[in-house]
Amino acid sequence: MSKLFPVQEIGSLAKPKWRTKGLRQRLSSQDLSEAEEWAAKLGIQDFHDRAKGILRTGDDKERVKAVLELSTLYGLRLFETTGLDNDGVGGEQQRVEMYEHVIKAVHGMNLLGHVHSFDNKYFNKGVAESKISRKHPVYLPEFLDVKKYAHRAVKVPITGPYTLVDWSFSGYYIQKQQANSPKTRKIEAKREFLLDIVEQIIRPEIRDLVDAGATWIQIDEPAVTTHPEPQEMELFVEAWNETVKGFNCKFSDHTCYPSEIGYKVLAEYAPKLDKCDQLALEFANRDTSRLGLDEDSREGYSDLNHFVDSGFSGEFGLGVAHVHDYTGNVSEGAGKSVGRDLIESPELVRDRLLFATKIVGDPAKIWANPDCGLRTRTWDVAFAKLANITKGAELARETYQ
Amino acid sequence: MSPEIQLAGIHPRSERLIELTRSYERAKSSWSQVEVQLEQETKEIIKLQESLGFRHFSDGSLAWQDQLRPITRSLYGVESGTRYSRWFDTNTFYQKPIVVGKISAGDIDPRSFLRTELLAGKVERKITLPGPYTFSQLSENKHYKNYADLLVDVALAEREIIQKLKNLGVTLFQLSEPCLVYQPYRKGFRDQSEVELALRAIRSVVKDNPADFVVQTYFGDGAPLLPELLDLPISGVGIDLFETDISSLSEQEKTSKAVVVGVVDSRESFIENPSWIADTARKFSEKLGARDLVFASNSDLKFVPQEIANQKLEALSKASELFEAS
Repeated sequence: MSKLFPVQEIGSLAKPKWRTKGLRQRLSSQDLSEAEEWAAKLGIQDFHDRAKGILRTGDDKERVKAVLELSTLYGLRLFETTGLDNDGVGGEQQRVEMYEHVIKAVHGMNLLGHVHSFDNKYFNKGVAESKISRKHPVYLPEFLDVKKYAHRAVKVPITGPYTLVDWSFSGYYIQKQQANSPKTRKIEAKREFLLDIVEQIIRPEIRDLVDAGATWIQIDEPAVTTHPEPQEMELFVEAWNETVKGFNCKFSDHTCYPSEIGYKVLAEYAPKLDKCDQLALEFANRDTSRLGLDEDSREGYSDLNHFVDSGFSGEFGLGVAHVHDYTGNVSEGAGKSVGRDLIESPELVRDRLLFATKIVGDPAKIWANPDCGLRTRTWDVAFAKLANITKGAELARETYQ
Repeated sequence: MSPEIQLAGIHPRSERLIELTRSYERAKSSWSQVEVQLEQETKEIIKLQESLGFRHFSDGSLAWQDQLRPITRSLYGVESGTRYSRWFDTNTFYQKPIVVGKISAGDIDPRSFLRTELLAGKVERKITLPGPYTFSQLSENKHYKNYADLLVDVALAEREIIQKLKNLGVTLFQLSEPCLVYQPYRKGFRDQSEVELALRAIRSVVKDNPADFVVQTYFGDGAPLLPELLDLPISGVGIDLFETDISSLSEQEKTSKAVVVGVVDSRESFIENPSWIADTARKFSEKLGARDLVFASNSDLKFVPQEIANQKLEALSKASELFEAS
């Protein structure tokens, strides 16, 4: 029997200050002091040699490359040290963020400026100004570094085509539509834009990654539950199936923070997704912070029933740790609230995994992960959360031994 | 008189303000620095409204973190919670109100609603609030056994908050009710008895409340509900023309109510042509028999960058002139 409740990350980690600064300008040894502290914690033995190289070089490109490589190594080692079974790409250290990083590599798209996401968070929104095409590979350089340093299995999270289109203004694609109704023009523009993104951008990316040795691609589609209309969901399925067609690797979908009926609708369409081996979903955000295996304590996981009822037969990546600010109460034994963070206890993680198992029926189908990428948390907090997920998975595993 | 132009909700922050708020989050700027910029930008938005001939002035609600938050923070029995939920089909999120006890109006922090000091001299002031139905639909109910009781209490509390805001000089209240028309998943998602409840709640908010009210619908087809909305004792009704097929509107008796035409799309960067705006609004007004038109975006303009939002307002202003000239 393979290991039950394996642990994975979902994508991003916060970028260390030295990584962000090092991309813009030369670093001083003081800038690298934080990196030195973490080097000891993560067992980065050649830190001093690498640091010397970064400090010595006067060549911007060389410095940027070295800084990105080093931060990727740190991300991988952080995941490894916390006990994860799959280390992703080390926290997406080589990406600006999930949207802009791709759009910058697309001919025909222009970033227009920032729009509000929530609180004081924003994203830079792009517009299609002409027919699109790929300028250069987006994820390959990062994957090559990951391959060099990873000690464990990896997967490559990529931003899905539906999300890229949904988060962009259609511009060129909407202006060329002829239908009278604004609503019809929008949907026709979206389909044409979406299929262009699949063919021109995403499939070439996957081809590059698979050719370079990638065996698991996680397609991030947070936008898919944004439009639960049948017409939109069918568009998503069409784009997904076009995306994965002909590739021989594991594919998973990550979708988080759905609209009110979002997961119910995703569940209905999930069985139609070709080659979708896993759905990694967010649940901890909507769950209580108290221990227990009863339905009230584990109310956040009730949507899992929709996926089981719809006949989705793949794995679930179960969100067992919150990734945003937390200000509520935490019951005894369920974890601790530190500033704006909740550190879930291993026991709370265990209960979430065991409750989910009751719904799914087969523990071998459940992975443990945070709700989403941990980029909004500090490394200390991310470390503590991931370490507790690993311990919680161990506790859950013990119940089956 | 040419159609009036109004802001229909939260205006986007500038790149400068965005950078400052991000810097504040990273503890690199102080809140007072953010405040200075907020004040300056609010003044600029008011000035823009002046230059474009607005009659009702809003402050742009630049400090609002989401469309529900100031109301949420002003209610007893409601907590802000820690859960973020998606705002309809946009890529923005709101902090989900959690109903944990009987709802009633609490104290309000006037500044969290409106920067009245920056609107000095403006007699006609507009504010956009979530309507009672939308607020209750987007909340998580952990207290009421009966949804109707929850909705009634939200309406009564909102009514009281509105009376307090009226004392701050607000003369026009937009009650945004996207939940009335947003039903993306299945036909019959909302039955008539629920619509009746929603309309009754709106009536409770406006009853004997001497101010002008507009009920704004968006992100969904407003046509099926329009006759009932026009029957409400309010001064105007708003429709999202990007979701409502004009041809599906049934011919109406002439209405004396103002109709707010959401005729620029707050979710697309493309700047609508003023002639197209005027022409589309004309077709709409002819079909509806509306004499009093207001031009606006279909919803909050916060979904586009500020520069685009301002250009859309300018397009509305030109369209208003074209409409009048024709």
